[in-house]
Amino acid sequence: MRSADRVTAVLLFAFSVAFVAGALKYYSWWGSGGPGSAFLPFWLGLVMSCLALGLLVRSLKDRNPGASWLPRGEGLRDMLVVLGITIAFVAFLNITGMVIGTAIYLLILVRYLGRHPWWTTVAIALAAAGFNWLVFVHWLRVPMPEGIIWTF
Amino acid sequence: MGFGVAFTPFNILMAIAGVTVGILIGALPGVGPPSGVAMLLPLTFGMDPTSGIIMLAALYAGTMYGGTITAVLINTPGESASVVTCLDGYQMAVQGRAGPALGIAAIGSFIAGTIGVVLLMLVSPLLARWALSFGPPETFALMLLGLTTVTMLAGEDPLKGYISMVLGLMLAMVGFDIISGDARFGFGIPEMMDGVDFLPVAIGLFGLGEVLYGAEQKGATQVKTSLRLRDVLPSVQDFVRTKWSIARGTLMGFLVGVLPGAGPTVAAFMAYTLEKRVSDEPEKFGKGEIKGVAGPESANNAAATAAMVPMLTLGIPGSATTAIMLGGLMMWGLRPGPMLFEKNPQFVWGLIASQYIANVLLLIMSTLFIPLFVRAVRIPYSILMPLIVVFCVTGAYSLKNNVWDVGMMLVFGVVGYFMKKLGYSPAALVLALVLGPLAERALRQALIISDAGIFILFMRPISATLTVLALVAIAVPVCRALMTRAR
Repeated sequence: MRSADRVTAVLLFAFSVAFVAGALKYYSWWGSGGPGSAFLPFWLGLVMSCLALGLLVRSLKDRNPGASWLPRGEGLRDMLVVLGITIAFVAFLNITGMVIGTAIYLLILVRYLGRHPWWTTVAIALAAAGFNWLVFVHWLRVPMPEGIIWTF
Repeated sequence: MGFGVAFTPFNILMAIAGVTVGILIGALPGVGPPSGVAMLLPLTFGMDPTSGIIMLAALYAGTMYGGTITAVLINTPGESASVVTCLDGYQMAVQGRAGPALGIAAIGSFIAGTIGVVLLMLVSPLLARWALSFGPPETFALMLLGLTTVTMLAGEDPLKGYISMVLGLMLAMVGFDIISGDARFGFGIPEMMDGVDFLPVAIGLFGLGEVLYGAEQKGATQVKTSLRLRDVLPSVQDFVRTKWSIARGTLMGFLVGVLPGAGPTVAAFMAYTLEKRVSDEPEKFGKGEIKGVAGPESANNAAATAAMVPMLTLGIPGSATTAIMLGGLMMWGLRPGPMLFEKNPQFVWGLIASQYIANVLLLIMSTLFIPLFVRAVRIPYSILMPLIVVFCVTGAYSLKNNVWDVGMMLVFGVVGYFMKKLGYSPAALVLALVLGPLAERALRQALIISDAGIFILFMRPISATLTVLALVAIAVPVCRALMTRAR
């Protein structure tokens, strides 16, 4: 936790300095009769840089390295797999379309996480994709990504 | 007038759907009221705003009860407002009295919710009329108070709470500035010109973030229970014993819930402390005392109702959940605040009337269908989690029908995971993101009319009081931190 705080503090400090600099460079500090568009960003950046410094100082003074917070082993693997498959699901959304994408996503992930029998997995995937289609496409008429496989 | 709106078949259906989904969401560990409201908000875009808010408000009430089921049965609160219920509720279950524990929670919730709506009906118009006289300084001071109190109560680490809050405000700066017309921090990306939408952020932080967190902790939240719920109805004796606990919990819950920033969770904790203090046998608490269930459970429902008061009358949400509802109101094109009562009376009174119906529905559902919900809680995480992600993706997409928002949701899902791991407060971030643009406008208007700069906040009685309170809210945790260090 201590090392994480240090890294976060440095990142936040750099971010807030860039935020203030960007605001002052590109936007107006004072407009016609009142504060301009750089006014609040400047103060927010300033407050954030102070908070980040506070966090940094506190974590530097801290003698206790704190509990390890990084996931390891199976936990880390599962988290990364869920994240990775989800990113792939979103990245291919325009190709697979929402309904088919949903079904594929669930097939892979439910099977991976739970090792449920195939028929359960397929039933869940189809039911969820069907629900998705019924509510969002059919009922609410949300123009979902259709994909190149199946056009409605 | 409100009942005419609320009693249409469609709106009753929405209330039933809201309560049912709410109990489920409340009961499932890992999805709490804010993620529930954020994920269901996109469903309401095609509806009349009144039906939409009826569903969301019913859902909020439902989650308060749903969290109790898991708290009592498996000692895992489904959402944070039921944390204290674990103390005595689970002990009652161990002693074979899970039924009465759930039953008294249902009855207490019903009574507290109903009285809460009556109070909401009486207090809101008065508060709205008073708030009509607010100028920009008062509005800004009020928002400052809302932000600081939420942050104060958000977590153990005030420094990280404030970092979350300021980060939310910084994100709120992105996009077109209404006063000058500058497109701030857009980097030339058209989607960024509109600013950072709170909904993908909220869905990411609360929905996907929780899923990623849960994926890592797999196994820890496995639900296994062999309890049979033959008898959910508590005996008359139980009810007589707890009637004053329910009354105290209701009052405490409403008072705490009305305050900006202090939501159902705080209310439940305070009600528990109160019950223990007024009890003749405080040593029984923590060992299955039914009063320790009745008081907090009444309080969290009363507080969930009361949280609507500042949201509707002042436009200041008291919690992450009401912040998301407030964002919903703005998306539907309504302006929250004192004018809402004059401009959209059918909306406000329809919502209030529907709360009565929601409470009756909640009582029916929570007594008759408990075995069903208990079974639903046993859905394995490996099935539930992917389904939640699918709902997050669909919800983020249907906001504006573009994949950009889904990407935002993903990014904030990862941010939410780290925030949860490292002890930052997603609630403070979302609240700041929703209030940011409103607070900025109020501040700049206040500075335009001021000849004393920022000190205008201290020159008008109401804004001075609110600002001082906000400064106290900042100072208290700082002092406490300094004092513990000095020791």
